[in-house]
Amino acid sequence: MQKEEEFIRIIKEHEGVIFKITTMYTDNRDDQKDLYQDVVYQLWKSFESFRAESKISTWMYRIALNTALTRLKKSKRMGNTVPMDKVIMQQTENYEPEFEEKLKLLYAHIKQLDVLEKGLMFLLLEGKKYEEISEITGLSPSNVGTKISRIKQKLKKQIIKE
Amino acid sequence: MEIEEMQALWSEMSDRLEQQKKLTNEIIMNMTQERYSNKFRTLSTYETFGALFCFLIALGILVNISKLDTWYLMICGIITLLFLIVLPTLTLRLLGRIRRFNIIDKSYKEALIGFQKAKKNLLILQKSAIYASFVIMFTASAVFAKIIGDKDFFLIDRGIKEYLVFAFAIAFVFFISRWGFRSYGKVTSSAENVLNELE
Repeated sequence: MQKEEEFIRIIKEHEGVIFKITTMYTDNRDDQKDLYQDVVYQLWKSFESFRAESKISTWMYRIALNTALTRLKKSKRMGNTVPMDKVIMQQTENYEPEFEEKLKLLYAHIKQLDVLEKGLMFLLLEGKKYEEISEITGLSPSNVGTKISRIKQKLKKQIIKE
Repeated sequence: MEIEEMQALWSEMSDRLEQQKKLTNEIIMNMTQERYSNKFRTLSTYETFGALFCFLIALGILVNISKLDTWYLMICGIITLLFLIVLPTLTLRLLGRIRRFNIIDKSYKEALIGFQKAKKNLLILQKSAIYASFVIMFTASAVFAKIIGDKDFFLIDRGIKEYLVFAFAIAFVFFISRWGFRSYGKVTSSAENVLNELE
């Protein structure tokens, strides 16, 4: 019971992270919900092993990113999918369509990256240092640096093209 | 949009997401139960039904193999049998390997390499199946013409209608294959690029 409570606390604390990753790796609301559940399930499965090892955030990023990248795309169900019209899901009194538009544009840029670049870009946007990115991804810090500068160039080109 | 602008926007989004927590204890614990529609399992279910169908047809050919009374019809029968047995078996094995892929003890890099390799193998197999389908179209026609209609496919007198049907079938397989090659080609080359980056 204590284990469940601890798990629930951690998930609640980091639900934004799972939301951001699942939004980045999917194209519609149904797929996003499925992936969200996959991630929570995988986190629960690995909860025991995490407690003895690394930091919560490192464990969480690693499992969530691994789950996202190893999922097979569901075949497109024509006319049956709900497009991701909003990134911030709940329409509160603070809802700003302009902010949503900017977010959609940001996600559109990230979604054009390949699967490895997407993960690195996500961790960079999360404000992670190269050493931490290296710990999560298994790439060497210098390799992380090289790849990130390449991603930045790629994004710049994408932006200029528009 | 500059990178710095992206970072600022991301951080603002993170703050807003913090304020709209919506998971309840019950929702979280429900998600930990393995009752959801697992994509791998769904895919495997389709493939398993497909494989069973192939095995049944293979069984049908095996039971009637004595009807294939010439050496060339026998060769057609063996090729068709191999296709119907080997291909689904390999597909199920590769899918099983992907499904059992353990992501928990792996770094992002290791998971990516392992998964991309497994995916590449599956795609190569599917691509080979498209090539093979050209050959199988002929061998299976010969086998079934003999088993069902007791006719030798290679000696039948064909009229315009038969040739038209055959031309249509070839065109159909050609277009389906071309579409398949293109889509598989894109995915395999993207898997290949990621592997080259990492290895």
